[in-house]
Order: sequence, then structure tokens, then C-alpha cells
Amino acid sequence: MSGSSNFETRESSQLGMLGRDYRGVHFELLCDTGDRVRAGVAVMRDARRPDILFTAPAAGRVARVVRGARRKLVALQIEVDASCEVAELAAPAGQDQAAQRAFMLASGSWASLRTRPFGNIPDPATQPAAVLITAIESEPMAPPVAPVIDAFAAEFSAAVTMLARISSAPLFICHAPEYRPAFDAASGARCKAFTGGAAAGLPGRHIQALCPIGLAGAEVWHIGYQETIALGHLLLHGRPWAQRIVALAGDAVLRPRCLAVTPGAALGELLEGELQDGSQPILVGGNLDRQPLATEPAFLGASQRLLKVIRAVAEPAADDIGALDMGALIPGDWLEANGPPGIYAVPLMRALQLGDVERARELGALELVEEDVAALSRACVSNSNYGLLLRQVLDQLESSY
Amino acid sequence: MLFEVDHGNAPGGGRRRILRIQLLALLPVTLVALVNSGYQYFQGMALLPGFDGSDLRSRLADFLSANPEAPGLYDYLAVGVAHVLPMLLLALLVGGFWERIIADRRGRPMEPGFLLVALLFVLLLPGAAAFGHIIFGMSCAIILGQGIFGGEGKSFINPALLGIAMVQVSYPAASALHPLWNGMAGYAGSDAIALYHRGGEQALAQAGIDTWSAFIGAIPGTLGTTSLLAIALGAVLLLVTRVISWRLLAAQFIGLLLFVWLVAAFGDYSSNPQAMPVHWHLLLGSFAFGAVFIACDPVASACTNPGRWIQGFLIAGLVVLIRVANSTHPDAVIPVLLLVSLLAPLIDHAVIAWNIRQRARRHV
Repeated sequence: MSGSSNFETRESSQLGMLGRDYRGVHFELLCDTGDRVRAGVAVMRDARRPDILFTAPAAGRVARVVRGARRKLVALQIEVDASCEVAELAAPAGQDQAAQRAFMLASGSWASLRTRPFGNIPDPATQPAAVLITAIESEPMAPPVAPVIDAFAAEFSAAVTMLARISSAPLFICHAPEYRPAFDAASGARCKAFTGGAAAGLPGRHIQALCPIGLAGAEVWHIGYQETIALGHLLLHGRPWAQRIVALAGDAVLRPRCLAVTPGAALGELLEGELQDGSQPILVGGNLDRQPLATEPAFLGASQRLLKVIRAVAEPAADDIGALDMGALIPGDWLEANGPPGIYAVPLMRALQLGDVERARELGALELVEEDVAALSRACVSNSNYGLLLRQVLDQLESSY
Repeated sequence: MLFEVDHGNAPGGGRRRILRIQLLALLPVTLVALVNSGYQYFQGMALLPGFDGSDLRSRLADFLSANPEAPGLYDYLAVGVAHVLPMLLLALLVGGFWERIIADRRGRPMEPGFLLVALLFVLLLPGAAAFGHIIFGMSCAIILGQGIFGGEGKSFINPALLGIAMVQVSYPAASALHPLWNGMAGYAGSDAIALYHRGGEQALAQAGIDTWSAFIGAIPGTLGTTSLLAIALGAVLLLVTRVISWRLLAAQFIGLLLFVWLVAAFGDYSSNPQAMPVHWHLLLGSFAFGAVFIACDPVASACTNPGRWIQGFLIAGLVVLIRVANSTHPDAVIPVLLLVSLLAPLIDHAVIAWNIRQRARRHV
């Protein structure tokens, strides 16, 4: 088959699907602990929108279902068993929108689409104002986009054609100026190059430039480039793409490099023998979100492309809003450089701190999710976690949207 | 330690770093203040035969064995220390006292910001300011300038600016028979600009002021504001570390150029105030000091980039206007900065409102 990548492959015996990757989903299990599942078969669905299925990335046995507070699904763990077969998926029944959407829903790839505002899985009954493919990575040390898409050029192109047909809205491919991915021009997709430092790879930046969101109820959908390749793989080969390309980096890692790993791979297994002795490593989910991921159960997140392991330093806890020691915000102009482009950083931060939902919306909060303001949390001297504050504001906006 | 980006790892860590940089940026200005007040003291003594040197600070200078006959660098420094140090210690004591009381009342630890407020406040005073006025001004600065707003960084005006403005307004005619009051327009700063208004460059030359002495700071004036060179050194540090906004600073200096040119182009050439060239606007008075250390205080300035440009041009425009049109207020920097500080939230409000309208137009 096409697209056997040049990356070093790492097999995993355990993998997991994490509940926190899918915001606002109430999972309904379609299998039991101990069941043998085939790769590509639905193991969960959204109880409120039963069309949205979540499929097993590899064949194996359902080992464990971890639930957290209020029985919220934390993770579904699968023990990989190569002897189980793969579910062959039928190609889409037609070229029309309904058939394309039905294929994406049945194959589970619908769940890798995200909406702005709010960052949810889109409702299959709605229409977006635009669809964006994020084919650019601006996070330092993240895997380079160009070799990955080049290795799976056929899959990428097939998926672009399909994504152009799931709605009548324009499809944009957001890419770095030095690398423009190849795709079938007949699909009608448009390319847009983005520059501008650490924010250039964030969907929030692309949406701000291409399709700003107001309160008219419009949604923009976006999807990552590896999820696009996974969709193309399903289209061309009828089976799920059993790889994700991730970068191993950070000062506690012995040999920083790119690896092809199983989606949802168990991190303990993945990092075995990769870390320096004697350091107390903590895992951070890339520079832009910095949540320590060492907590159980540790699996590769659905959209996580960077495994950055650094030696333990005093990091502010992720859930520490710092309400007790929330110092004053010093509105220096260094904040402007760290903020989301096109949005006044300091007024937005003040609105978030005050919980001023209306002002935050007017300033453009609907275009943002946590990752867009992560750099502000680090640059601001007030110890506020703007990701959490933004989510509180978005939750209020969502309930009235 | 100074240049690395260590914001926010420890509580208050980023704030401490900014404070360290701000204090370090004031170091050249403080050194010039020490040497220059000694120099001005000996210069002024020759003009004041009735001065007996019996006040506390002069006796302290005697105690440090400053020699008035053939003064050298040590003597300048000794007199400077004898005059600046008591003022600074008193300002720190008063500031620390109020900060302690406010911290106790609010149940939080003391914040170190009063150190910067005290230093800025003293640098904006004449070298022989009355101790009672220092207590009054510093109390206003800490209580009204930041205490009642909740502490450092939570106010909307620079506390030192407020303290100085209160002193200027409350004691407009303050002046004493002392060498360091020579060439001063009360607390309002140097009267070199008034001198220029009256007699042009000849008057300045008679008072011993030329471009070079004004550039290095060997002229009468409030302690920190005389030396453009020292102020520029501090400004470079603040700009490199991004503590102050280059836009706001640039707007003020470009604005000064622009408005001085406008006044010269459309004004009345026969009058000295309107013919005053831009380099004298910069060298005399406290425009440069105010622009770098007071107006660019990130807490008390506009927080949007268009707002910063507007604020800078507004400051420059008003300073030039008052200097040219109001001969009773030759320096004008302190009242203008106070007014524009109060306007900064309004400027931001307008910029944000405009931005929201623009956004609403292009939304889907």
C-alpha cells in the first residue's frame, strides 16, 4: 500500500481512548470489558447524538473502562491482539453530501472534526461556514508536517476531496509558506499560507483570518492533518490507519526523534528506555498546553503530536486558577505578542478575569479555545490560568448560544 | 537572570523581575542626581552670599568633609549623598510605613513596589525639598496612588506621579534660601524653559546652560531629570527587556518633533516660546524623564497598541501646547502626564469599541 512511512515504528500492546479528548460527549459503551473488538469497529457512541461513533484504532480485547467523577469516562483501554481481524469498511455510497457524511460517521472519523466556537464535535445535522484543514505545525519540536503528508500524499488528497463534499462551505487548507500540500485541484479546496511565530499553527489564528465568528450562530469546522490522512486511509484502504506520527522531545529524552506509534498508545510503554536515568520526568503536552500528562491512565491523546518530557521543575499546577494569589495584571506590550493575533490581549484577559462574558465575546473569545491563550498564561505575571477562565466563559456562552 | 523570561513560575516572580529592571534602569539617573546636586550646590553657593549652611543637609555635607574651596568629584558626591540620601530614606520610611499598614489591613504580605515609588518620587523633587513636603507627597502616593486601589499594579495612575502632583499643587510657591533651589520654579521643576522664554539662548548661556551640559545633566533641575544621557541609558534597558512599550515611547518623541514643527511652522517667530527648537524641549525640563519612567509605566498607560500611539501623541501635543502658550507653567510635564494617565482608560475604551465594531462587520 502507499504511504509506508520512513519513520521508526513503535508497536504498543496497550492503547486507550481518552474521554477528555472529546469535550461535552456523554459516552455510551457499545462493548463490554473482555469483549474482543476488531479494528475500526465502533466501541462507543455519543449518547445524545447516537450517530457519532468512536471506533477502536486497533484490534484487541477491551481490558478496562476507567471512570472518574460522576461516572464520566476517563479512558477505555484495549489490549492489542494482532490475531483479531480488521473490519473492512464499505466505500461511500455516492458522491453526495449525505453519503459522505454517513461514511465519516460510520468510520468514526467524524469524531476528529472540531467546531469553533467551543471546540466540540460538530453536530452531523448542521452546516459549517467553512472547513479548515490544519496542515501547519508551529509548536517548537513538533513533528514536521511536510514528510508526513508527502508519505501519505494519496490518502491526504482523497480526504481533501471528501472533506470538500461534506458541506457546501469552502474548504481551506492552512499551510506553512514553505510547504504547500498536494491535493486534487478538482476538489475546490483553497490554500492559505500562514506565518507568524508560535500562533501560526493554531486553528484559532486561521479562523480569525479566514472566517471570524460572531454571534450569528455560524460554526467553523477544523481537522488536523494527521486526522485527514486517517480519513483518507479509511477511504482508500477500507481500514483504519494504525499509526500516528509523534515527536519525542524535551531535555529528559535520550534520543529526540519522530516515531510512528499506534493511536492512543500507552505512554509508559512508549517511553520505556527513552528517558535519562535519575531525572524525575514529567510529561507536558507540548509547549502550548503544558498540562502534566503523567497522571494515570496515561495514553497518547487523540490530537497529541508532541511528547515532550522534561525534568521536574516547579510548574504551576494546571488546575490552579490562583484565586488566592491572583496578583495584578501588568498590561505590558509583551502580552500583545503572546496573545491571539487580531485580538486585543489585555482587554480580553481582563474580561476573562472578571468573567465578563459579553465583553469577552465581543473581543473574539468565540474564536478561541484553551490552546490559544496558553501563551498568555505564561507571559502574564498575575498567575492566572487563562485557559480555565476562557473555558468558564465559553461554557456560559455555549449554554446561551 | 534579568534577561531570561521567567514570568510567573513562582508567585509574583514576574512582578519582581519587572521591579528589578525598573530599579536598575533608574541607576544611571540616580548617579547623575548624586553628582549633579553636589555640583549645583557649589555653583549656587557662590550666588547666595547670605547662605550660612546651617541646615541639616549642609551640616551632613560638612560632616562628610566636603571641601567648598576647590571641589572635586568626592566633594560633589559627598554633598549629593548628604542631600539625596536623607530624602530617599525619609521617602522609603514613609512609603514602607503606609505599605505596612495597608498590607496589615488587607491581610497580605508587603509588596516591594513602594521602593520604586519612593525612588521615582525623590528623583522628581528639587535637591533641597522640605522634609514635611516629602512626608506629605509620599503619603499621598502610597495611600491614594495605590493603597486604596488594592496594591501595586491595580491602580490606574503612577503613584509617584500622583505624589509629585499633590506636592506641586499644594506648595506652588515653595522655595527656600538654599543653593539647590537656584534655577528652580518651585516644585514644578527647572525654570530653564522660562529662562529661554524670556531671553532665548543668550539667557541660557548666561545661566551657564549649553547643549552639552544639558545633555550630560550639569544643569539645575529636579534631581533625576537633568541628564538626557542617563535617561537614555535607562530607556535602552527598559526597551531591551520589553518592560516598556516602544510604541508609546516612540509616539511621545515623534509627537514632540511633530508638534514643535507645527508650532514653528504656523506660530509667531518673534516669540521665544514658539521658536524654541526641539532639542531644547528635550534637554530642558522633565519631558524625557517623564516620557521614559512615568508615562511608559505599563500599569498606568493604555493597553492596546493604537491606544499607546494615541496616548503618546496626546502627551507630546499637550506638553508642547502648554509650554508654548502658558508662560506660567514652563515645564508642564507633570500635569500633562497626570491628565493623560486619567485619559488612558478612555482611550482604550474608544479603541476597543472601534475594534468591536470592526469585528462585528466581518463576522459570519
